[in-house]
Amino acid sequence: MAGQALTRGLLPVKNAFEEVGVMMILTVKTLISAVRPPYPYGEELVWQFLFVLKLSWFPLVISTFALNFGAPGLQAAGILSLIGGLDRLGGFFVVIAIRWIGPIVTAVVVAGVAGTAITADLGARKIREELDALQVLGVDPVKNLVVPRFLALIVITGLLDLFAIVTGLTAGIAAELLYHQSLGGFFATLFSNATITDLWSSVMVCTMFGAIVAVVCSYKGMSASGGAAGVGRAVNQAVVISLVAVFFFQFVVSSVLLATNPELQAVR
Amino acid sequence: MIGWLDVPRSWLNSFGEIASFGLKVAGQVYSGRVFKFFGEGLRQAGILIFGSALIIFAFCFILGLQCGLQGAYFNRSIGAPSLAGLFSAYCDLREGLPYAFGYILAAKVGTGIVAELGAMRISDEIDALEVMGIQPVTFLCATRLLGAWIALPFLYLIGIVIIYAASYLSVVNQVGDVSSGGYLLIFWMYQSPPDLIFSLIKGMVMATVIVLVGCYYGYTASGGPVGVGTATAKSMVFNIVAVHILGMLGTLIFWGSNPRAPIGG
Repeated sequence: MAGQALTRGLLPVKNAFEEVGVMMILTVKTLISAVRPPYPYGEELVWQFLFVLKLSWFPLVISTFALNFGAPGLQAAGILSLIGGLDRLGGFFVVIAIRWIGPIVTAVVVAGVAGTAITADLGARKIREELDALQVLGVDPVKNLVVPRFLALIVITGLLDLFAIVTGLTAGIAAELLYHQSLGGFFATLFSNATITDLWSSVMVCTMFGAIVAVVCSYKGMSASGGAAGVGRAVNQAVVISLVAVFFFQFVVSSVLLATNPELQAVR
Repeated sequence: MIGWLDVPRSWLNSFGEIASFGLKVAGQVYSGRVFKFFGEGLRQAGILIFGSALIIFAFCFILGLQCGLQGAYFNRSIGAPSLAGLFSAYCDLREGLPYAFGYILAAKVGTGIVAELGAMRISDEIDALEVMGIQPVTFLCATRLLGAWIALPFLYLIGIVIIYAASYLSVVNQVGDVSSGGYLLIFWMYQSPPDLIFSLIKGMVMATVIVLVGCYYGYTASGGPVGVGTATAKSMVFNIVAVHILGMLGTLIFWGSNPRAPIGG
């Protein structure tokens, strides 16, 4: 009796572990078929790249500007103006805009915009049994559908991260100008606090976010089932799982990165 | 193939429709017409609590850990590690929690509503409701908004507890530059009850917009199973941007002219 109750209680945990395992298998499969010789996915890769870029550049610019202007810009500028140190806002923006908000917002926007589109697209193909038809024709769905999306998202999240950083710093400048402060102090503290490690770690982390989003969304799309409600439910689950996974991954990576790179914490 | 300006253009097209639909639904709740289906509203509140509470809390916990971590290392880099509580207080209550709440509501609740209502629309259940003499907007959308207004303020308040605990864990126990007492002194000094009210207002405005956008895209879904998936994706795009813009406006309105810090005379 107790054993049965325990089994039933642990069923969600078991399902979650199984799902993570299947996603890992899909990741490895994707990596292997990406490097193994026949490369039929070139055209699809370019198409997906442009698709994601056209879909997400506008939401990304608006979101990063709004988030960086509100959260670190106005809040920090308010308290810094009280203590008369508004020039330190530049150093603060290195931490917030480059290390934290840049990759996170890029991942959220790409998951919300491109990830949902990928899941909806693959889910629709699954529901219409196009994926099975492809397999019957001898075309590998992983190689021809998942690999181009995976590679496109990896490249594009890294590139969009740079745009997110630039837009975020623009928002910082806007906050500085709102307080009628000259920009010399902002740029001086920005460039004396910024290190190369900040930049490359931000871009590297962001490419990994792209990989997570691509695998989760492709997996959820390819395993959609249950008619009209099924595709919608797949999109719902895909975006929740990718957001939680991305935030958890960001916490782990930034813990390790900040603890192992003392030059990021040097007083300047 | 889509063009470079298709996303902003589609928003301009649909913004007016979403606004008028949202006002209609909110009007149904405000005028009390929704209380004809009060039981359904309570059921939706229950679904929110049992279906989404855990994932909301988990997300708040992760964001609290990040706030504490970044704040602790930032304060170390300016030579004031004992002031980590300041960063956590601002990050947790004023910015972090509304955004965490908005993100996870958009992902879990918003797209969930689109998937549910879209499936009903595709299988002609909404038309069937109309034939039976039940107003579908009231029965499906207004009850969901009522359920969200009943359940979400409490989930938000519990989320505050969780995000505070997570920040404490990561500043005091993980990084460990500041003692427990030193952290809590600064942490509690830099916040006040009005901040809590403002933060709650911010989060609830986001939640309302997310539920209304979800209802709109689900209610107007068309084009078979593919259409439901597309509508779900579209609602997520709209919600992400709406969350960020509402967060910025909230900060501008509540803390833009007065940082509400215990500094100076």
